[in-house]
Amino acid sequence: MSASFPPVQVPFATLADALLAAPPQKPFVTMWIDDDDERTIAFGEFTRWSSAQAASFKEQGVRKGDTVILIMPQGVALMAAFAGAMLLGAVPAILAYPTFKVEPAKYRFGLTGVSANLNAKLVVVDASFPVEFLESVSLSDQSKLVRADSSPSSLGNIEVTPTPCGPQDLAFIQHSAGTTGLQKGVALSHGAVLRQLHHLANALKIAPSDRIYSWLPLYHDMGLIACFILPMVYHLHVVMQSPTDWVLQPESMLHLISKYKCTLSWVPNFTLQFLARRVKPEHRKEYDLSSLRALINCSEPVRAESMDSFTSAFSPCGLKPGVLQSSYAMAENVFAVTQSGIDDTSAPRRIWIDSKRYQSERIAVPIDKVSDRAACFVSSGQCLANNEVRIVSEIGDELPEGHVGEILIRSDSMLDGYYNRPDLTSLSLRDGWYWSGDLGFLVDRELYVTGRKKDLIIVGGKNIYPQDVEEIAFGHPAIHDGRAVAFGCFNSDLGTEEIVLVAEVEEISILGDISAIDRAIRGAIVAELGVAPRAIYLKPPRWIVKSTAGKAARAATREKLLAEHPELRIS
Amino acid sequence: MTDSAQELIEYICKEIIRRPTVQIAADTPLVSSGLIDSFSLVDVLSKLEEVTSMRIPAGKVQPKDMDTVSLMLSTAQRVGKPRK
Repeated sequence: MSASFPPVQVPFATLADALLAAPPQKPFVTMWIDDDDERTIAFGEFTRWSSAQAASFKEQGVRKGDTVILIMPQGVALMAAFAGAMLLGAVPAILAYPTFKVEPAKYRFGLTGVSANLNAKLVVVDASFPVEFLESVSLSDQSKLVRADSSPSSLGNIEVTPTPCGPQDLAFIQHSAGTTGLQKGVALSHGAVLRQLHHLANALKIAPSDRIYSWLPLYHDMGLIACFILPMVYHLHVVMQSPTDWVLQPESMLHLISKYKCTLSWVPNFTLQFLARRVKPEHRKEYDLSSLRALINCSEPVRAESMDSFTSAFSPCGLKPGVLQSSYAMAENVFAVTQSGIDDTSAPRRIWIDSKRYQSERIAVPIDKVSDRAACFVSSGQCLANNEVRIVSEIGDELPEGHVGEILIRSDSMLDGYYNRPDLTSLSLRDGWYWSGDLGFLVDRELYVTGRKKDLIIVGGKNIYPQDVEEIAFGHPAIHDGRAVAFGCFNSDLGTEEIVLVAEVEEISILGDISAIDRAIRGAIVAELGVAPRAIYLKPPRWIVKSTAGKAARAATREKLLAEHPELRIS
Repeated sequence: MTDSAQELIEYICKEIIRRPTVQIAADTPLVSSGLIDSFSLVDVLSKLEEVTSMRIPAGKVQPKDMDTVSLMLSTAQRVGKPRK
């Protein structure tokens, strides 16, 4: 696939080579819990830890090409285990660590399925990983499960000679969202990852003095690629906290950027809105954001109002014009497909289009921004080098500029395939083009992402399929099977979508007392999907709009609910 | 039930859940049941500091420590420091 693009000279053949070439004294990761509990590890120490971890994996029988599953909390031990596996030429994959919200049966189901597909030689969990989940890891005769050492000292001083690998060898597997139980392992080669980082680093104008701030999980491409692999390859310092630590102290993001003079960060859209709304004006003077070169809005639709709220709240903290930027990224392309103009104070571009024609004709026709029909879209930028985007109709015909259709991507950093899933690979990769399932349009080479073909709901950067929410509702005995519709509703306070569910009860008499049903469904949604729905509406039989095929019609039902509950539109 | 627990319950019902039909007790799961979202915990933590007159280092608290009002109060006792 890369043959159709000009060859790229990358300085290393593999990611392990990049790590081994790092200046040993330079700080690599600062893991911050609070000001009394933070630790910085330099590249040299990190490499020794990774090498000792590799030696331990080798002792367990791991060899080149074997997959290694890592289920550990966010931290340096996890990162060293990941790098250690790569030093052996093995293929690591990070899976999400169980949280207290997850329902054990659901977590077990996902773990069994994903681990069976990965067919790992070794599964590594941390010392605190709950015993009740261990038996749900799928192990073959050839595989083992071990508890990881949380510090390098327990591994001893044994180091390994890195196993020779080349650009074509698989580097790691990162997981892409799918409906529940169908998480897809995206297999990426060293060459693909290094080419992506080369293009991204050029677009971001990366310099050795750059320092990254992140609270993003390492099992997600934005956290893994932008905030671990990019700094590992370009020898940058990354200041990191775990998502659970960040959620209880969101202002710590501003504190850490100020304290460490961070220059780059990536966040989903809701973070901007959340901080703008939650950080009290009297606290803002404590922060200095003047070091930031780029704060990149990625992994949720980019919203102008969220960008404006953040700019207005934090300009007095030294936030420079042009720092807020945007990107369109996906695990299947390693990470970024597009990036808006760094150091360009007018980026990302905005366009005001006629909302009537957008809805009825699926075209983006520019209109005066003061018109009451004007809808504002923010660009996700232009394609990185050796990345191409094409917009196609439902039957696959290429559409002209300004027409809304499915976004197809072609690049020299594309996935090799979904790991052990040739069926899914052939559905998504056709003639070298990846069919993203996202909708958007192009104007002046700028990509505007407008939504998801499959009604995906994106809550705080997390992809939720409405079908999964609806399945949970069907599981309740009071709900008529097949008569539930879930969709996303934008919450301007949070700056993200939230789940709204409407479901028909079996009998009208049930509507007399719905609090127990509401509570049961709500609890099940959190346990299975990890997010709380904003609202659940229970309706009498035959309320939901059906399609001609007799199925619940999601769009029409959504409109009917919004007409009955206009408060959902405003907030 | 202590006054602190009652005050927290009233705050969570009125300011966070905001659904008149929902009532909670000191041991009602909040985040794991979907009654409140993790993002609301920042406000709840702030209220917990107020009602207990403690400074609670957020870095020592995990969302699971905040799942019920009883857990919140025991967390405050465990990691909180009296305000100066």
